[in-house]
Parts: sequence; C-alpha cells; structure tokens
Amino acid sequence: MPRPVIQTWGLSKRYGDVKALSALDIEVEQGEVVGYLGPNGAGKTTTIRLLLGLIRASAGRAEIFGVDCQRRPVEVHRRLAYVAGEANLWPSLTGAETLHLLGRIQGSVDTAYRDELVERFDLDPSRKVRAYSRGNRQKVILVAALMTRPELLVLDEPTAGLDPLMEQEFRHCIREARERGQTAFLSSHILSEVEALCDRVGILRDGRLIEMGTLAEMRHLSALSVEATFDGPVPDLAGVVGVSSVRVNDGVLRCNVYGPVQPLLKRLATARVRELLSREPSLEELFLAHYGNGHEPERDPVRGG
Amino acid sequence: MAADVPASVLPPPPRLALPQASAVPGAGTVVIRQTARRALRSAVLWGYVSGLSVASTALSYAATYTTTAQREHLAALFGTNGGTNAIAGPGYELQTLAGFTVWKSLMFVTVAGAVWGLLLSTKLMRGEEDAGRWELLLAGETTPRRAASQGLAGLAVAWCIFFALTAVITVVVGHSSKVRIAAGPALFFSLALACGAAMFFAAGALASQLAPTRHRAASYAGTALGVAFVLRMVADSGTGLTWLRWVSPLGWVEQLQPLTSPRPLALLPIGGLVVVLCLLTVHLAGRRDLGASIIADRPSADARVRLLSGPAGLVVRLTRATLTAWIVAVALTALLMGLIAKSGGSALSASSGIEHLTSRLGVSGAGAAAYLGIASLIMAVLLTFVSAGQLSATRGEEAEGRLENVLVRPASRSVWLAGRLSVTTVALVLLGLATGVFFWLGAVTQDSGVGLPRLLAAGLNVVPPAIFVLGAGTLAFGIVPRATSAVAYSVLAWSILVEVVGAAVTTNHWLLDTSLFHQMAPAPATGADWTTNIVLTAVGVVAAVLGAVAFQRRDLAGE
Repeated sequence: MPRPVIQTWGLSKRYGDVKALSALDIEVEQGEVVGYLGPNGAGKTTTIRLLLGLIRASAGRAEIFGVDCQRRPVEVHRRLAYVAGEANLWPSLTGAETLHLLGRIQGSVDTAYRDELVERFDLDPSRKVRAYSRGNRQKVILVAALMTRPELLVLDEPTAGLDPLMEQEFRHCIREARERGQTAFLSSHILSEVEALCDRVGILRDGRLIEMGTLAEMRHLSALSVEATFDGPVPDLAGVVGVSSVRVNDGVLRCNVYGPVQPLLKRLATARVRELLSREPSLEELFLAHYGNGHEPERDPVRGG
Repeated sequence: MAADVPASVLPPPPRLALPQASAVPGAGTVVIRQTARRALRSAVLWGYVSGLSVASTALSYAATYTTTAQREHLAALFGTNGGTNAIAGPGYELQTLAGFTVWKSLMFVTVAGAVWGLLLSTKLMRGEEDAGRWELLLAGETTPRRAASQGLAGLAVAWCIFFALTAVITVVVGHSSKVRIAAGPALFFSLALACGAAMFFAAGALASQLAPTRHRAASYAGTALGVAFVLRMVADSGTGLTWLRWVSPLGWVEQLQPLTSPRPLALLPIGGLVVVLCLLTVHLAGRRDLGASIIADRPSADARVRLLSGPAGLVVRLTRATLTAWIVAVALTALLMGLIAKSGGSALSASSGIEHLTSRLGVSGAGAAAYLGIASLIMAVLLTFVSAGQLSATRGEEAEGRLENVLVRPASRSVWLAGRLSVTTVALVLLGLATGVFFWLGAVTQDSGVGLPRLLAAGLNVVPPAIFVLGAGTLAFGIVPRATSAVAYSVLAWSILVEVVGAAVTTNHWLLDTSLFHQMAPAPATGADWTTNIVLTAVGVVAAVLGAVAFQRRDLAGE
C-alpha cells in the first residue's frame, strides 16, 4: 500500500504558554477529500501553516508525499496548491498579471484549464486587484491553485466571500479534482460544504483532534433524533435506556437516542402516537453536539447498547 | 390598503421598542483616539529630535564662539553666502547665539517635520482606509466627513505633542545662563519649528482624499514639498529672486524670523493654508465613496507580464516607481549641490571658526570639494532612507500576507529575500553613481575644479552606510520581524542625531563613532576611506546573511 499523501506524527505548535496544536496524528490517503472542522481558534489554520512549512513545529513532524514538509517545503510545494481564506494579493497588479506571476512561480500551468476556470468563476482578469471585491480576490487565488493541476489541494476556508453560485462552482471543481484522483484537505466552517464534498472528516477542538472518520461512522456514534406527536398525554421517558435531551412542547416530544431504539419504542407504544419521525443527525448537529453545552460532547449518562 | 393615499401622507413605520443599547463612552471620538494613539510614538520621537537639535546648536555655539570677533567673523561668512543659504535658509543676526541657532536648526527641523508630517498623515488617513479599518468605524454612526475631521483632529493631537516637546526643550535650554532666551520668544521659535509639520500634516490629509493609494498620496504631498523646497532654495541662493520666498510655504516659515525680528504676520498664510487644506479635506471626504478617490484610479489595465516571471522580477515591478522617484530626487539634489558648490565652498575658505566646526564633521580644507564633502553627508542620509524604506516594504510583504502567495509555491525564503536585497543594493549603487555624476554636472558648469573620477568615487562613497543599514535591518527582519522598520529607522535617526548634534557638542569619539555618517569619510573633501567602506559593507553583508538564516528558521509573522 502506498504511503499516505499527508501524514503527521505528534505534530504540535505552542505560542508561549498557548498550545495551538497538540500532538496531531493524521493521515490523508491519495484521492481522498478530507474535511477539517473546528470553531475559530481550534488550530485548523495552524495545522495548515505547519503542513506548508510557513511556521515551525514545536514538536512532532509532518510529511507530504513522503517528504518532510518542515525541512524541504519547496520540494513539497511543487506538487501541491494552497488556497487561503483571505486573498492578500498585490493591489497594483491585475487579475491576469497575478495569475501569470503565480503560474510562473509554480512552474507549470494548464493554460486551457486556467481560461476555463476564469470563465466558470466569472472573473474579469483585466481588473486590478485593488478594484476587486473580496469574493473576486478569492476567485483569483482559487483559479491560481486549481490551474496548476496539483496532486494535493490544501484549502483553508476557501469559499469565504464567494456567493452561493460560485460556491457551487467551487464544489464542482473539487468533485472533478477528486474524479481525476487529486487529493484535497479542506478546512471549513461551512458544514454543508464539508458534508457534500468530504469522504472523511476530522474535528478539532482546542488544538486536539477529537474525532476522525467517515460521516457514516460518526453518525453511528451519535444520537438518532426522534420526534413524536401524540393524541393525548405524552408518556414519561424517565429511565428509558439511551434516551436524552427530552423536550415536550404542545403534545410534541423530541429526544435523542443512542444505541438501540427498542426501549424507546416500547415506552412510546404505551401512548397514542399520531406521528413518528426519526432521522440521522446532520453534520451540523454532530458538530454542535461536540461544541454545544459548554464545549462538552452531549452524551447520556444512561447509555444503552 | 390605502392604495390611493400619496406615500407622503402615510406615517413612517413606528420605532421598535428594542432594549436600549447603552451609549459607549467615547464612541463619537473613536477615530480621533485611534489616530492619535497610532501617531504618538513618532510624535514623541520627532519632538525630541527637533528640541535636541535646537538645544545642541545653542549650547555648542555658546561653547565654541566665545569672543565677539569670532562671532562677527562667522556672521560675515554665512550671512551673505548663497551656497549655504540655499540649503539652510537665510541667516539673520548670525553674530548672536539666537540668530545662529535659528539659522542652523529652523530649516532642518521644518523639512524633517514636513517629511514626517506627510508620511504620517497619509499613513493614518489613506493607509488606514486602504487597509479597510475605516470601513469598520464608518459602519457605525460616523459619516465620512466626520471621520475625516476626526482623523485631522487626531493628527492635531500628535502635532500638539510634537510642538509641546519642542517647546519644553527650547524653553528649558533658553533658560540656561549660557543661552538666555526668554520664554516668550522661545515659544514663538518652537511654533515656527513646528509649522512645517502642521502644513504637511494637512497636505498629506488632502492628498489622501485625492489619491487612490497611500503610496500615491505620499508622492503627491512629497512632490509638493519638493517644489516648495526648490522655490525657497532659488529664493535664498542670492539670485535676486527673494520674492519667491512668499510663494513657498517653506519660505513663509523663514519669514517668521523667530528670535531675531519676529514677524507673527507670516503665521497668517501658514495658518490659512492649514485651515484651507483641512476644510478641503473634509469637504472632499464627503464627496467620494469610501475607498474611492477624487483622482480616479483606472480599475482595469492591460496585462504587462514582462517582469512577472518570478520573485525577483516581482520586486522590480513593485518597487521601480519608488526607486525611480528616488533616483530623480537624488540626481536633482546632487545637481543643485554641484551648482552651488563653488560659492558655498568659498565660505569655508580661510576661516578658522568654520574649519573648527566642519572639522568636527570630518571635513577639512575648503572650496567646492569641502562643500561637496558636506553635501555627500546629506546624500548618504538620503540613501540610508532608501534602505530603511525598502526594509519596511520587505517586512510589509510578510506582515500583510502577500509573501505567502510566493512561499506556498516552489520558491524558497532565501531566494525571495535575496531578490529583494539585490534589487535594493543595485538601486543604492545606481543612486551613488547618480550622486557622483550629478555633483559633477553641477560643479563643472561653475568651473569648480573637482573632476569626475573624484566625484564618482565620492558618489560610491555614500553607498556603504546604506548597505550597513540594509544589513542591520535584515538581521532584525530575521530575528524580530515586527521591529524591522523600528531598527532600521533607529540606526538612521541615531546616526543623524550623533552626526548633526553630537559633532557640535562633544569630541567623545566613542559616542561619535556610533554614527554611521561619522565613519564615512566626507569625500570629495577628503579621499574616500575604502578600508572603512569595505568594513561597513562587509558588516552589512554578514548581518544580512545572518538575518536570512534566521528568517529561514522562523515562523512567518503577521502584523
């Protein structure tokens, strides 16, 4: 089996007393699109800047394509492209000049694809960067990254400032990239984007990776959301194994279930249920479960299974 | 509902009864405080520089020229000399301590204050707007006009600090038994010293409304300063065009004639100019959109990609306008110095008093060569300014995040840094050559008898201090990136202070040797000291290499 595209061993970064990233172990296989989630300040950008060699690791190491990305960043950068969340470009250059410059520094550009991307992102390359809106500047660095056909895309909140249409276009581009076998590491705040694009998701909190897996795996570990409407009195769910977060409102009961649903169904059957809905949690709910309630994952003390 | 009722008759929507947001104390003055705070450090620094330059001149005059004969001799030499007056302005009552102090420090402080004023006000007005910080403030209840007025008020606070420090030092020194200048005249003198800064604070603020970028705003205001300086230079060079003094704002400052025969009436055009510029600033601020400018920037341009083939080409593309402007400015200054070298040099001839003063600066002998020796010190200062400015720009690329676009691609940090340093070094050598060539072009028309080879050597002789500053700044950039500009400008400011002030008040060589300009031999007055030049350059190169190694190993650092 080939080595992972990205691999880290105990990668850490401290700023004085602040631990920005603690002992990160992560692997990204070739052809995967991996989402990287976490609230502001969780360490997402720190991770990416370490991977790019822009900042020095306090401990641990990281390899991309089997090359140490802290010691030999230039070698690594030949095969990847990076999109930052904020496009800080040279205000006096035009879009076309910027793309030309960045292409020349990269060393290889698929010019036909570049022109296609400019078209698809509806970018006017004759305008100066100073005259671009924030979204348009973001398009410039997106095009600059994609046009080099990199083996690995490192994306740090890449759609900040894009309108919904352009956001869709971005998703198309990433899907196309994956179909061609390119790998992507996507840090994002937009959970629907991650849900739509990513094979696996890592969740970061306070500089630690607290979850890593496919969405299906993560859902499995998480609660099922149940909503029941009654004709008549609502049954008491106290003591039912696996049930938590019970809310009752106007004859409608909502709760979460971990593990088997059998005990809950038994109890519900004692009352006159008119409607019963259940669904898997969305990524947003998974995310909030990890960060809501004073940053403690919501888990039931009476856990079933 | 009420379809046929005219809209104007309908009542406005009722005001929502939302929980009252309590007024934040000082919300109405946030721009004033922000601007004043960001200006504070440099206001204090320049206040000291101007105060100390007065103090040192007065005290050294008192110590050096003790007899009436010496003083009369000094006055006779400089009072009517077009060459020196073109640089320092006309002297009045040079046989007195007061007259000599005004002559020696007024134009220096005025021009230094004007440069400071225009750089700071364009930075805090246009620069803050470019960076998008005003957008945050203006999203509140502040209108663009109010924000501009507050920006001006913040600058006024900075000016008051500058003035107050100058005044305190001047009054205290005036109080000493050796100097004896009364508090009233000392205050008027301090006000005169601060006029240049006031006018160019306002000019910078107006340019910030006119120009689409901070850089452009600074160059508009800088051009205005250049024109004002040349006009008064012509007026003061004994060409019979003294009326031109009334055309130049710097001439008005001369007309104040503080300490000798004060003419407060000359404050009228100065104050008038400040008020008009401020009113225009506020008016224009309301006439344009945020981020836009009165002189429109072309939003589009044809792609010119000849230089954009890599990091080094990018540096050339980004800095060529600035460096070209410097080369033009240095060439013009050198030409003017060359033109007045002969007449200026005659003042230095056969004068034990002056020789005493100039020998402290390391200049010996007399004639055009001696004059150009002093001029070359001024050129060396200009070149170190170029170094410091380029270091600021280098750090700016990193601080504002643009460098990342280069470094996340296959370009190494050392290659990028080497590109920047090489472009600056080439520019410095070109500036040195321009100094020599234009010294010569000016001097040769006056039959000054100083040949081209000697002047080219003098031109190259001004480069090493600038290389040293470039190296020292690069070392700072590698180790403490956020202090890059501070270190570069501090080395520069310290060297100027020691050279101008220290040379007059002390013979302590330990202190004087810390000035870069004291290390430099004032060619062509003397021969260029190539050993020292090689040492200065070598130390600069070693510092730059150490800085590059440190940069290679550190985190990229934002603002």
